[in-house]
Amino acid sequence: MDITHSQHGSVRIIALKGRMDAVTAPLFDKAFAEAATPDASDFVIQLDGLEYISSAGLRSILMVAKQVKAKNGRLILTGLTDEVREVFHLSGFHTILRICDTKEAALAELA
Amino acid sequence: MIRVEHLSKRFGTLEVLKDINAEIQQGEVISIIGPSGTGKSTFLRCLNLLDQPSGGRIEIDGEDILAPQANVPALRRRMGMVFQSFNLFAHLTVLENLTIGPIRLLEKPPAQAANTGLELLRMVGLAEKAHAFPDELSGGQKQRVAIARCLSMEPEIILFDEPTSALDPTMVSEVLAVIRRLAKQGMTMAIVTHEMEFARDVSTRVFYMDEGLIYEEGPPEQIFDHPQRQRTRDFIGKVRSLSFTVTSADYDLYALVGKIEGFCEKHLIPARAAHAAQLLAEEVLGVLLSGPGPAAGAHDIELTLAYSERQRQLELRLDSAGPPGNPLDTTALPDDLALTLIRNYADEIAYARVDGRNRLQLRVRQG
Repeated sequence: MDITHSQHGSVRIIALKGRMDAVTAPLFDKAFAEAATPDASDFVIQLDGLEYISSAGLRSILMVAKQVKAKNGRLILTGLTDEVREVFHLSGFHTILRICDTKEAALAELA
Repeated sequence: MIRVEHLSKRFGTLEVLKDINAEIQQGEVISIIGPSGTGKSTFLRCLNLLDQPSGGRIEIDGEDILAPQANVPALRRRMGMVFQSFNLFAHLTVLENLTIGPIRLLEKPPAQAANTGLELLRMVGLAEKAHAFPDELSGGQKQRVAIARCLSMEPEIILFDEPTSALDPTMVSEVLAVIRRLAKQGMTMAIVTHEMEFARDVSTRVFYMDEGLIYEEGPPEQIFDHPQRQRTRDFIGKVRSLSFTVTSADYDLYALVGKIEGFCEKHLIPARAAHAAQLLAEEVLGVLLSGPGPAAGAHDIELTLAYSERQRQLELRLDSAGPPGNPLDTTALPDDLALTLIRNYADEIAYARVDGRNRLQLRVRQG
């Protein structure tokens, strides 16, 4: 899984590409920990390059969502591929997480 | 007539036959079927000592043919063998191919050998080719000559090693017709074949060989319509499969993913089903690895992904050591995410305790 960081204003953006599974989910945990500096509260996680997510990936995203919520921050996921969207729907994640179609829409919402 | 006990055969470090036990009675027609490379031809070649067995016992009418004092040439004469590649003498005419053995080895008078040879050629429908050379014949005709030549040595049993595998499809039936006729006449035969319909029709019993063993044997109705064991069912159902062994929680997930992707690509399995198979494999392994293995920190899990070409169905099987009980009934998981995905990506889930192991079978969702 490729992980890239960027920042738009105060919003931290993490883009994921490839597979988020039992092996790579810890890499995402680490990447989020690095991005979540004390001043960071709003996050966008771009998933348009993510082809696969398993329960290990879901668990990581849930953990991140809890951390963001604990800091009264906001988290938006964007660009779900068909495979990932289906996993989100089957696990009920689409009802508990904020999802936007594009990064731009997410940034507009967080502005 | 023939009794085989604990027959084994190694080629260097490769164990081709592990523990073959079988009996063939006079008048029986045994078809030997199974995937390539499972020792079928080696078994036949061991029976008439073209390959020397590494261990075990072969008795013909009570006589141990592996005993040092055994008269191997005499015993071998009682068994004829028909090969995939005909093995006719190219420099001899068809009739001479049939008479050379009886004249030289059975000491038959040439005229008598020629008469018998012509009779046998008539039986296989090739009397008019008696003076032709093998190169002038089609593959099917050559194989019929090879069968007639085999009969000219008056064998008590004929071993056929894939007699139609080298033939053009149009010539298969003429050879099978000759073998069917021999079966009707009561000739004892053992036939390694990939012609399943033929094996079903002609056999009194079928040996399904796999992994160097006679994995299942029975009458054709059992083997073809109601196979009792998994590998036989897979073979009969034209099931293609891949296997993967997991011994620890640190297994190589990407080696498994690569195998699943390659397998699905090879068998033109739709992308959605391939994705579901990957997800189910990871999730179910995650559940199994969270439970107790046969020893602390150790696991013994055999994963099989099986695709039935006939039914167009993809199935994931996980066979694991550990205490009895459905591993999916676990309460040891941190949440129900894995189980939720498993239940949604599998159309059907079955559990059984088989041979002291837990077996999960999941039909992978196709749509």
